[in-house]
Amino acid sequence: MKRWLETIVFWGAFALLWEYGVAALGIRRYLLPPLSAVLQAGWAEREMVVGDAWVTLCEVLIGFAAAVLGGVALGMLIHFSAFARRTLYPFITALQSMPKIALAPLMIVWFGYGFASKIAATFLFAFFPVVIATLGGLSGVAANLDEHFRALGASRWDSFWRLHVPAAMPSFIDGIKISMPLAVIGAIVGEFIGAEEGLGHLITLATANAKSDLMFAAILVITVMATLLYWVVEMASRVVWWRGKAV
Amino acid sequence: MTTANLKVVEQGKVGELGELGEVGNMASAPARDVICVRNVLKRYPGKNAFNALEDVSLSIREREFVSILGPSGCGKSTLLRIVAGLVERSEGEVLVNDRPVAGPSPDIGVVFQTSNMLPWLSVEKNMLLGTQLRKLPRQQSQARVRELTRMLGLSGFEHSYPHQLSGGMRQRASIGQILALEPSILLMDEPFGALDALTRDLLNVELLRIWQERMQTVMLITHSIQEAVFLSDRVLVMSPRPGRILHDIRIDLPRPRLPENIKGNPRYGQYIAEISKIMGVY
Repeated sequence: MKRWLETIVFWGAFALLWEYGVAALGIRRYLLPPLSAVLQAGWAEREMVVGDAWVTLCEVLIGFAAAVLGGVALGMLIHFSAFARRTLYPFITALQSMPKIALAPLMIVWFGYGFASKIAATFLFAFFPVVIATLGGLSGVAANLDEHFRALGASRWDSFWRLHVPAAMPSFIDGIKISMPLAVIGAIVGEFIGAEEGLGHLITLATANAKSDLMFAAILVITVMATLLYWVVEMASRVVWWRGKAV
Repeated sequence: MTTANLKVVEQGKVGELGELGEVGNMASAPARDVICVRNVLKRYPGKNAFNALEDVSLSIREREFVSILGPSGCGKSTLLRIVAGLVERSEGEVLVNDRPVAGPSPDIGVVFQTSNMLPWLSVEKNMLLGTQLRKLPRQQSQARVRELTRMLGLSGFEHSYPHQLSGGMRQRASIGQILALEPSILLMDEPFGALDALTRDLLNVELLRIWQERMQTVMLITHSIQEAVFLSDRVLVMSPRPGRILHDIRIDLPRPRLPENIKGNPRYGQYIAEISKIMGVY
């Protein structure tokens, strides 16, 4: 109970500071509107905000799912195929070292203004940590356990499913925890470059119309969404309770 | 009685049974060789190429308990892995049950120094894992694991996870996992090396009890002279790298061996003294 109280007091203080601090410090409304104005603007445009949030959420979820599936597939390919390790791995690393934000306009050119380009941008931002985490998890299986399985005459299939997959899970979980916030960034960046809907688009629209309060409302919604999504991943990752329990 | 009475033979020169021979339990029906290693050489190639083993020959008869002692780095673990089919030999011949070793065999169970429990499986599931990987009948395996759980003093911990157990219990569960396979040959690579002396002594007694009940052929790698003498029918002493078998010592102590009637036995002390002298640690 005490911990709940702490949380409520902390966020309450933050809200009050925002609300009254802005006026007290004489910050102009277009730079940082008070919290109440932000909430009002968001409520006034609630249909648009909810609609845009839904679009962004779909982009993030689909892009993230693609990044996880694609990342795992690429990680496994690189782990199991020496050829892929020599060719695909350096290619992906080079791709990763490129500033992905520079590729976002290209996604618009290739996939248009709609949904597809946002999925592509989200994927691009989010897939790399999954590749690295999968790769690290699979190659980090303790050598003594590998030998033990060999001595027990385990088939390749059994070794993979009963040893490599569970052993790689803690690392994989770390990867998707990094990847989840990156997916949100990818979707918003995609919407910045060119879109007709989504929270990123709402931000550019509000900025163009000098509606700081609506822009902050959009930022607030993105923040809440990203936090909730991360929390879901965090909760889901508790399935892998054996992290750090190596014996 | 002097140490001269102890039968210490150079490899290849199998002597007569000495005065102590009659006391041992190996006088039963002639047993065949289950493990036969002939002139094995193991070379690790590369820039720093070296021979881990050179001209190693030994044989272990059915239901014999043989320990291999040697200084660290002498290749004794490599030797065990070659017999287990986990490491390829460079030269020579290894026969297990008269067949050349070409990979891990279902006749063999290997207990390693590390416990090798999977952290995400309960003790019971860990103990069943080997039987599942070897596709042994499920119901019999479950019954066997239940029995082993009791024998190894793990009752009540079936549903615990490895990280909740002490090192000694984990190692017992590991031994249980291998015994559940009912292998006719048990290879052990310093199975108690990571444990404290007290736990080690207790597990030695347990191991002997299980061995006496089931009478598998055992090849044990250890660096404890006391452990080797207490447990074994024969102790093989290896040279420093490149490992060769220098001595083959028959341990003629009565069985069943219990600490109370072995550790006070003067012959036990003499064997330990003799082997210590051979190994230069005396």
